[in-house]
Formats: sequence, C-alpha cells, structure tokens
Amino acid sequence: MDGDSSTTDTTQLGITGEYMTGGTYVLQTQDDDGDESFNDHEDGNGSKDYFREQDIYLPIANVARIMKNAIPQTGKVISGNFKNVSCNLGSKDAKECVQECVSEFISFMTSEASERCHQEKRKTINGEDILFAMSTLGFDMYVEPLKLYLQKFREAMKGEKGITPVTVSEGLGEELTDESFTGQLPAGLITADGQQQNVMVYTTSYQQIPGVQQIQFS
Amino acid sequence: MSGKNMEEKVEQATNSKNISLPVSRVRLIMKSSPDVSCINQDALFLTTKATELFVQHLALSSYKNGSGKETNTLSYSDLANVAEETETFQFLTDILPKKILARDYLKSLEEMEKDDENL
Repeated sequence: MDGDSSTTDTTQLGITGEYMTGGTYVLQTQDDDGDESFNDHEDGNGSKDYFREQDIYLPIANVARIMKNAIPQTGKVISGNFKNVSCNLGSKDAKECVQECVSEFISFMTSEASERCHQEKRKTINGEDILFAMSTLGFDMYVEPLKLYLQKFREAMKGEKGITPVTVSEGLGEELTDESFTGQLPAGLITADGQQQNVMVYTTSYQQIPGVQQIQFS
Repeated sequence: MSGKNMEEKVEQATNSKNISLPVSRVRLIMKSSPDVSCINQDALFLTTKATELFVQHLALSSYKNGSGKETNTLSYSDLANVAEETETFQFLTDILPKKILARDYLKSLEEMEKDDENL
C-alpha cells in the first residue's frame, strides 16, 4: 500500500483518479502493527481519500466472540445429556450488522469528543473527551466501569517496565508518556572492590594507586 | 528475571488491560472521522474498552428484547427492533433498517403501479 499521502493528489500525478477514489475499501491488515505509517501523516485531507469510514470494521471473529459471551448460555437437554449451549448468532447477518454498528459507535463517540476538543482549542483527544462524549450521547452507564478499567490499565502499564505490549504501542505515536520510556537498563558499571569505589581502568602500564585493590590475573 | 516470571507478568498485564479488540483498528476508525488529528493513549484505550461494552450491551439488549429467547437465536431483526425501540441505540436506525421480504416489496410496487394506472 502506498504510504505516501502526497501521491493522492491525482492532478499532480497527471492521471485520472478513478481507481483511487470512489471505491469501497474494506481494510484487511495482516500485520496490524506495521500498517500505522500511512495513517500518521497529519495532513487531514490526504489519507482520508483512501477509504470511507463506513468500510472499516473490527474483525468479525472478535465481535462475534464478545457477542456470544455476553448472551447467557442456556442449558439444553440434547439427546439425554445436559449441555450448555451458547446463543446461535444465526447467519452472518447479525454479526456483520453488529460490526457495522460498532464502527458507527466509534465514529459517533469520536466526532463528539473531537468537537469538544476543538471547542477547547486543543488538538489531542484525551480520555476526558471520550468519557464526556459517552455521557452526552446516552452511554452514561459505561463511564464508571471505564474509569475503573483505565485505572487498572495504568497500573498495568506502570508495572511493565521493560515490556512494551502490542495493544498499547499503537497509541504511542500520538502522545508519548513518561511511562513508555521506563525500562530496565542493565547495569553497566563495573566497580572495583575495596574501600573506595573506583572504576578499574586497565592500561598497559599501571601504577599503584593507593586505596585501590589490585587485581592480578594469572 | 526467569522466563516463567516474565510470562506471568505479561499475562497479568494483559488480563489487567483486558482488551479483546485490536487497538490499531479502533484507531483507524477514529482517524477516519473528520478533523481528528491526535488521539492520546488513554482515549484510545477507553474507546476500545467502551466498544467492547457496547457490543455486549447491544447483543444482550437485542436478545432480551427479541423473539429468539425460545429458539436461542439472535437475528438481524432483533437488532433492528432494539435500535428503533431503545433511545440509546437510536443512532443506529439508519444502518439497521427493518427488512422487508422481497416479495412483499414487489407486491407493494405492483400495487403502486396499479394506482398510477388508475389515475
């Protein structure tokens, strides 16, 4: 995929733009991590011509799994045995539909949060904006649980010195926090034994330095 | 740090963060909104998590509201119904139109044409 957003201006390229615009692009990223680059160009117009917002969905498998886990399993007796049966999500229809609803939901929240952000003359959408949007748009009931999750998330982040998990690194391109840089650095200092803590420097001709223990290699 | 210790730590962290949706994809969808420039880490996490809650919420509401309880099925029409009937989900009515059987639609078309002819 062409990552350079400057090439989307077809007049510059001198070609008809038909193959670039107006198509429906359903994004299939194999490697979710690596594909961020084309999206990082901040000139608002360029990258958005590639796709329409309604065509980007979350993976159907993930969505279906969450749906199934949300619906209570019923006990059914099947050929004499008691079995726990999870809900039948019917044809792909219901699942695909929820996929679309999800994208709609995200866009809905984001545009509301974005608006608030702009009103306050800020450029970066932060957590507060999102929570505010939830509250405004009738998803008040999510706010408290979300705050708790955020707390847990932050704690998990702090405890992970040296581990950079995939799920978090995506966001680092936007705003780098202090936490993202804490890592355990291996100790690189070699100190000599003795009363004085000196770094041993080995030279071809060494002098007897008072207070420093000499190390002899045999 | 031993290998096992590391594993435990990662697992613990993943469970605490507890996300089952791809964050990068969520970010992509967010960025496709007009005038969105930067999204901070918290916002991204909250949106992803909220989306999970939303899926659960939508699925459960549709199921409870729908006729599938006896048959243990969640169908499209359950979703369409809940969108129309619940205020919270009303923003979805455009993308969840109630479906009509093709033959019923064709019938009503025929009837409209007849009416036109009669005029």
